Amino acid sequence: MVSVLLATSLLAACAGPARRGRARPYGATPPTPVEALRLSEVADEGDATRRASTRLVLQGLDADAAARPQEAVRLYERALQVDATNPWAYLALARYHAEEGTASLTFSYLDKAQALLGAQHALSPGVEPHLVGLRGEALLAAGRSADAAPLLERARLLSPSVWDDGHLSPSELR
Amino acid sequence: MLFGVGFVVGSPVGRHVARLDQEVVARFNGRLFRVPSRVLSAPTILYPGLDWKRIELRDTLARLGYQESSATSLEAGRYHWTRDRIRIHLRPFEHPTRPEPEHEVELVLDGTQIEEIRDVASGSELGAVMLEPETVGAYYGPDREQRELVRLGEVPRSLIDAVLAVEDKRFDEHHGVDPVRILGAALANLRAGGIAQGGSTLTQQLVKNFFLTPRQTFSRKINEALMALIVEARYGKDEILECYLNEIYLGQRGSVEVHGVGEAARLYFGKPVRDLDLAESALLAALIQRPNGLSPYRAGEAAQARRNLVLDLMAEQGRIDKASHDAAVAEPLRLSKVTPEASDARYFLDTLRRQLPESYGYDALSSEGLRIYSTLDERLQRIAARSLRSGLEELEKRYPRLRVKEGQEPLQACIVVLRPQTGEVLALVGGRDYGSSQFNRCIQARRQAGSVFKPFVYVAALEPQDGQPPAITLASFLDDEPLSIPTPSGPWEPENYDRRFHGIVPVRMALAESMNVATARLAQRVGVDRVADVAHRLGIESPLELVPSLALGVADVSPMEVARAYATLANGGIRPEIRTFEDIVDSDGHVLERRDIGFERVLDAGTAYLATELMEGVVDFGTGAAIRSAGLRGPIAGKTGTTNDSKDAWFAGFTPELTVVVWVGFDTPRSIGLTGAAAALPIWIRFLAGATGGEVRGAFLPPPEVIEVDVNPATGAVALAGCAESRPEHFLLGTEPTQTCPEGGYYQPSPASAPERAAAPPPRRPREHRGGFFGWLRGVL
Repeated sequence: MVSVLLATSLLAACAGPARRGRARPYGATPPTPVEALRLSEVADEGDATRRASTRLVLQGLDADAAARPQEAVRLYERALQVDATNPWAYLALARYHAEEGTASLTFSYLDKAQALLGAQHALSPGVEPHLVGLRGEALLAAGRSADAAPLLERARLLSPSVWDDGHLSPSELR
Repeated sequence: MLFGVGFVVGSPVGRHVARLDQEVVARFNGRLFRVPSRVLSAPTILYPGLDWKRIELRDTLARLGYQESSATSLEAGRYHWTRDRIRIHLRPFEHPTRPEPEHEVELVLDGTQIEEIRDVASGSELGAVMLEPETVGAYYGPDREQRELVRLGEVPRSLIDAVLAVEDKRFDEHHGVDPVRILGAALANLRAGGIAQGGSTLTQQLVKNFFLTPRQTFSRKINEALMALIVEARYGKDEILECYLNEIYLGQRGSVEVHGVGEAARLYFGKPVRDLDLAESALLAALIQRPNGLSPYRAGEAAQARRNLVLDLMAEQGRIDKASHDAAVAEPLRLSKVTPEASDARYFLDTLRRQLPESYGYDALSSEGLRIYSTLDERLQRIAARSLRSGLEELEKRYPRLRVKEGQEPLQACIVVLRPQTGEVLALVGGRDYGSSQFNRCIQARRQAGSVFKPFVYVAALEPQDGQPPAITLASFLDDEPLSIPTPSGPWEPENYDRRFHGIVPVRMALAESMNVATARLAQRVGVDRVADVAHRLGIESPLELVPSLALGVADVSPMEVARAYATLANGGIRPEIRTFEDIVDSDGHVLERRDIGFERVLDAGTAYLATELMEGVVDFGTGAAIRSAGLRGPIAGKTGTTNDSKDAWFAGFTPELTVVVWVGFDTPRSIGLTGAAAALPIWIRFLAGATGGEVRGAFLPPPEVIEVDVNPATGAVALAGCAESRPEHFLLGTEPTQTCPEGGYYQPSPASAPERAAAPPPRRPREHRGGFFGWLRGVL
């Protein structure tokens, strides 16, 4: 039940204001802050294949944090080679492309991550700030600042320690 | 020097020398070598939990040129395998964006599983280890030469010494032509009464290979000497030696000529040239004289004798000491396992070439020495090739009418394997023999789709559109009664394969049994234009004529298009871009081209999931049931396809991680008299069994917008307490039946908003995958 509620609220949130044509899709009540998810917390989840894949994602985030972005991307892709249904690999790719400012790829990877998280019942409250915030970041990169603002604001309210600067760094996701 | 010997510039001799000089300069200042671009596979990734036997680790190591060692102290490129662990000294992997350092790892085994991986130096546990990619092929020029260019600095001293000792011991002293050597050779030949020894220097040999024909004529010898002098006058000894070491012919790999010590080191020892030891260096130098006659694979004793002669010469000339000489002479020949070039991947190479930007023409590909990092999974490619070959042979054995006389077009097939989430082509075999037909049936053929098209009809019917409910749910029933549709060419009256009509049938049964009439009626309900729209959205690019028979697959499509469309369904409605390579790197290590993963949502995840469930029925109890009979377990969905007069046989299907399409038929369409289930499905099964070991990983998971409701299987109504029979069924949120069993029972119809609906009371079930219809069916059976 919780996951259905969360999923549907995320679907609504992440469908984005552009689709709905309104500036503030959320009610006046500010969301309760949550502990934003770090992928190291899920490193041991799933079967052996998933675990190996997630470890490659973590290595990729390390490379990303060490300013080796191309290596990071290839590690995320290797993670997908091991387990193409690993939502964390898509989330890491979405983060990378949000930082690069390639909005269309960010949206695609976010959609994919979100679809997999939903199907795998892994839409935990801690992942919401990232999904919402990254979409906001991508909208901003696409020049749609009015659409981006409420999403980034929601991400900030959900996880001020991570999203206060409107950006998700590799180490914050790691 | 040469130009000061008194030639009058205007004289014919002077002009000739000037022309030779121009020729030398043009060649040396231009591109010295045409180096074919290589295509590399995706790397093999090892991780705890992986079944090393299933991935054929030992073979993979052999193909990569790793040599098994009994010693526990390993140098790069060797491994030590015991009952419960494997130690591998991994070579460094050079890549501009994802280099791997040289390091030694230990794999702890538990039966056939890798239990743990450790870095030997640090003792730390590793999550995954990558083996370097394998070369799967190259784009050769007309000369079919392969070489790996090396810098002189990379070549070990032992190899330089070995080459000089046997080919030109006074290389450092002469100026291109060595009168002492010529005289010595002349005397030796005189004594032998024939050609026993050549008098050419390295420089002359290089000139001969670069500029001249092999014909032994006086004028050619003169030109050779003149050009050698010119080369020496213009270029340094190091440049000449490096050029020679890259040019020299050293053997064959199938039909491809191996040139240069870099490529030869890979061929014979499976390692980079810098890692050659003394005995290996001496062997390479020994082969220069007669690479084929002395091939260590075919003439081991002769090769070893010649190698030892080289070692003797090195010792005589003071290039090695006695101890090194004796140790090297005592070494047996240690060669890499012969791995003929993977001709299996040549259709894939053609496919990849079509994906490259236009700037990568064939001339550039065959000469610029690019490295193309492809998506090909070497293991799956081998399984695909094997499955196709043995599947066709089996068909011809079982149905002798399919065999043709020599010279006639044989029965053909193709197989394409995609990773649905990324669109990566993991394996592709475009025909049964590339050598006799390069026509790539996966890409270039346009064949009638037949029933593999039917799922698009059901997707169109399951998909809500413009706020309207979908035409059907999984609990619906279809009418499989005679149908007549007027068309400009007369009434169209479809029939079922069994020539019978089945009356009112559950929708799952209609697709599982590939019922033509029920499907044609459904297409009429939703509109043929919508069916075509769905097919295009999912990935069919060929034009689709809007005729009633489109529902039954009269359209001509390529197997790759079908694969992409099915991958979209496997990927929850997100259509992937087809991707055959990750990046292209030039010979200096710069990334020239990158191909990112690309995809787009074209169908809602709920509809994609419901369509997948329908297609699971094909496998579980329909026309694809042979998959289960063959013992394949796990989530598998698919559809058989048989076209008019059985000219085309298809099976297209997917698991959560692989989409596989197989087509079988003749190039010039004629009946094969078999269904897709009889002709294409056995190949598909062979492939999937080999790829997965029989156990398919993962699950098709319903997305949040899909809910489970108990229904009465006889009527499709919501089953409440008191209903005689019920089974769980999946619905898109808001599309559950409104009727109840017993009739008139209370069931809250769908509220408008999703969160409220999620809070609605039973009979809605939590969304865990309980087996749905098939779970119920299994229970009933």
